[in-house]
Amino acid sequence: MITINVNGSARQVDADPATPLLYVLRGELQLNGAKFGCGLGQCGACTVMVGGAAAFSCLIPISLVQQRPVKTVEGLGTIDKPGVVQQAFIDEQAAQCGYCIAGMIMRAQALLERKPDPSDAEIRREMTPNLCRCGTHMRILRAVRRASDMMRGKSVDHPVASR
Amino acid sequence: MAAATPASFDAASVERGARLAAVGDCSSCHTASNGRPYAGGVPLATPFGTIHGTNITPDPETGIGGWSEGAFVRAMREGIARDGSHLYPAFPYDHFTHTTDDDLHALYAYLMTRDPVRAPNRANDLRFPFNIRPLIAAWNVLYLRQTAFHPEPSRSAEWNRGAYLVQSLGHCGSCHSPRNALGAEKTDAELAGGEAQGWYAPALNDASPSPLPWTVEQLSVYLRTGIARDHAIAGGPMQEVAGNLAHASADDVHAIAVYIESTMGPLTGDREARANGAQRRAAGGPLPNVSVEDQRIGTSGGTASGNAALAQLGITVYDDACAACHDLGRTDSSSGALRLPLAVAVYDPDPRSLLRIVRDGIAPLPGQPGRWMPAFGSTLSDEQLVALLAYLRAAAAEAPPWRELPKSVREANASP
Repeated sequence: MITINVNGSARQVDADPATPLLYVLRGELQLNGAKFGCGLGQCGACTVMVGGAAAFSCLIPISLVQQRPVKTVEGLGTIDKPGVVQQAFIDEQAAQCGYCIAGMIMRAQALLERKPDPSDAEIRREMTPNLCRCGTHMRILRAVRRASDMMRGKSVDHPVASR
Repeated sequence: MAAATPASFDAASVERGARLAAVGDCSSCHTASNGRPYAGGVPLATPFGTIHGTNITPDPETGIGGWSEGAFVRAMREGIARDGSHLYPAFPYDHFTHTTDDDLHALYAYLMTRDPVRAPNRANDLRFPFNIRPLIAAWNVLYLRQTAFHPEPSRSAEWNRGAYLVQSLGHCGSCHSPRNALGAEKTDAELAGGEAQGWYAPALNDASPSPLPWTVEQLSVYLRTGIARDHAIAGGPMQEVAGNLAHASADDVHAIAVYIESTMGPLTGDREARANGAQRRAAGGPLPNVSVEDQRIGTSGGTASGNAALAQLGITVYDDACAACHDLGRTDSSSGALRLPLAVAVYDPDPRSLLRIVRDGIAPLPGQPGRWMPAFGSTLSDEQLVALLAYLRAAAAEAPPWRELPKSVREANASP
């Protein structure tokens, strides 16, 4: 048995130590937010936070998570009470097919926890590892900007849906 | 002297210049990522501060469009710009000074026929006193040797071509030779190993860290593709060098390989023994579980139980994160991954390059085919990284431990 801390609670996992964290999240813990995209750390759909940093969960063997806390998109909020970054993505309607979005949100969350007021260039650089095939990048970048503004209490535009 | 017009150059010179610009790796410093070709702006970190590659497109105001061929030749040979100011020796005119008139003419023809791009040069950020350009005149007196290349009559024409390219346009020594406190290459330690943007640039003389001696053919393929299956997959600055050499003349690259193979010297008994050991470990299936004693982790202090835990952690990291691709035959991976007992970086005198490879992975140049290794920087904690490198050093290379690994990891973390 391997114990990992996910979204604030200790979880016991019965899996081969080399099993990628992503498989454990989805297959064992029913946390299906993180997606399997490429399995090679090339696309970012599986991004979660490990020890406070954005990480490809498809590459981290469960044995190497150790004491580092894992945070997934499910740990940010609920459908009724979305987290700030989730709300910003909804407001900017940043998802098209949505497959990349959980990963995008978690990379943005990690960035904003580390640096609440990144420049636009820093946002672009930070989000580079995560790919979106639909091409909603401009909305995603706006959503990250919006989340930063919301967190710092700045006024933001009306949500896209009501504009 | 007026600048030449594009129409005045014959196509053959332009074509030859393009191939030579590839040997010179000009774009690494003069083309920014996502930037227009040769429009400059690339930041180059040096021990003296940050310097920016300049615009060398034929734009008359911000580039070299107003430069006569004479002004271009003077810049290449003497490090003096058209306006008479000194260029910083980060621009390797100490190598380019050995380039022939013909080759400089071809390069000039090539550059003056590129698309002009209006892009003002970025200011450098150098610390005192290195921000005082006239001081470079003194540097030049000390270190600039404006001599033509002297062929070695006892060697083949191909060897001499390779020697010429390595010492002049190729400027291999800029990274692969050690430098003194004023940033000049140490002439008594040519190609004895240097550094490039946080990477160790391996020695290309008889101190080459490569466990298997390089052959001319392996070098030639590596230089043009960045892939040598029994040695290395190019990463960092060398990846761009190989990306450029792919566009150089194949004969020239082969000549460079002939010369570099010779600078590495003959196969001595010691090197043969090291090669045999590496071959044996590479052929012997999975890497072994090496004990804490064999990893010699205790040599840098720590408690016995802490050291034992670190040794076990290294084995675990390798087994669970690396072995699926790097242990031949363990899974159905492509077998494209290097067998680590043959990987040059594990034998380097310091861990800088291996740290960067593990942290940043290896991705093909944009739009190019190539090998892929994921970046493990956010996957592994610093402690796991230290444990992995200590383990690889012992199990894959059977080499003495790298000193102060945690410090090396901290230094790598502090630099992009």
